[in-house]
Amino acid sequence: MHELSLIESMLSIIREEKAKHGMDRILRVRVVNGALSGAVSDALAFGWECLTQEGDLQGVALEITDAPLKVVCGACGKPFEPEDKHYMPCPACGEILGHTVTSGKELYIEEIEADIPEDGEPATGV
Amino acid sequence: MGKTVTIVRNVMEANERRAGKLKDYFAEKGILCLNLMSSPGAGKTSLLERTLADLKGEFKMAVIEGDLQTDNDARRVAATGAQAVQVNTEGGCHLDSSMIEDAIAVLDMDGMDILFIENVGNLVCPAEFNLGEDHKVSLLSVTEGDDKPEKYPLMFHLSSVMLLNKTDLLPYVDFSLEAASAHAKKLNKDIEIFPVACRTGEGLAAWYDWLRSARAAKKQA
Repeated sequence: MHELSLIESMLSIIREEKAKHGMDRILRVRVVNGALSGAVSDALAFGWECLTQEGDLQGVALEITDAPLKVVCGACGKPFEPEDKHYMPCPACGEILGHTVTSGKELYIEEIEADIPEDGEPATGV
Repeated sequence: MGKTVTIVRNVMEANERRAGKLKDYFAEKGILCLNLMSSPGAGKTSLLERTLADLKGEFKMAVIEGDLQTDNDARRVAATGAQAVQVNTEGGCHLDSSMIEDAIAVLDMDGMDILFIENVGNLVCPAEFNLGEDHKVSLLSVTEGDDKPEKYPLMFHLSSVMLLNKTDLLPYVDFSLEAASAHAKKLNKDIEIFPVACRTGEGLAAWYDWLRSARAAKKQA
């Protein structure tokens, strides 16, 4: 529902990194979106399209990698990948409560592909 | 062919950073901060009206009211004598920590015991934005259906308390307190559940006791 504001935060991070690394033109941005992040990948893609129609990041490609949900059982410690986000019986002991999420909560920018001139001096101390 | 630069930066980092600062501020001042969330019309403002009026001799309390538009809720809360500040998100679906920073700047925080943040009525987005609070508190009314924790899991998963409001209407609706509680416990085995009726005051004593103990725990920390 608030994917547009998430994209706005992403754009400001990207602009910071662009300046920091002396990037000329950004070609592609890769984002990792976990199954439990609350952000819907399709809505992120749509928000990105809307907010990069013009301006300095016009036409930059957004690539979204969906990170699967992985948990460790709260009772027996078995790691497993639940099929359902809300009801997660452990395949080994059947416990449904108290699991620790090891993957799936994340939403982060993993990498940026850009033209960086040879003399593009990375700024320091940012 | 461009070069690839590895970044790995959390998209929510700006909010998380500010929320961390707010948490430090509340810790330093010993203020218990509660983030109150529910769907629109579940009774957040009614709960606050009751709580502020009933406990005003015990605690210094203030409210940050989040709504898309109007200052109706801030006026209702201010009528109890408590300080209230209205934040209008102008269409935004949640409060974020920069809005809390701005709101605190206009409140008199000296000697404050409990700060309530009444989030925008919405069962989805508010849960994803930390505001530096000690606890998230969710409110569900019996007219909404007992499967809401199952349908909107994140909020109930993250909440320390779930209040089930409007229990005075239970004879007229198909709502099972047991089913709603079981759904919430499945998501969060430690969640404390208090059935209340803000209109009649029934059940509020248990909520007040929880507030007292949370406040005492914060003061000791």
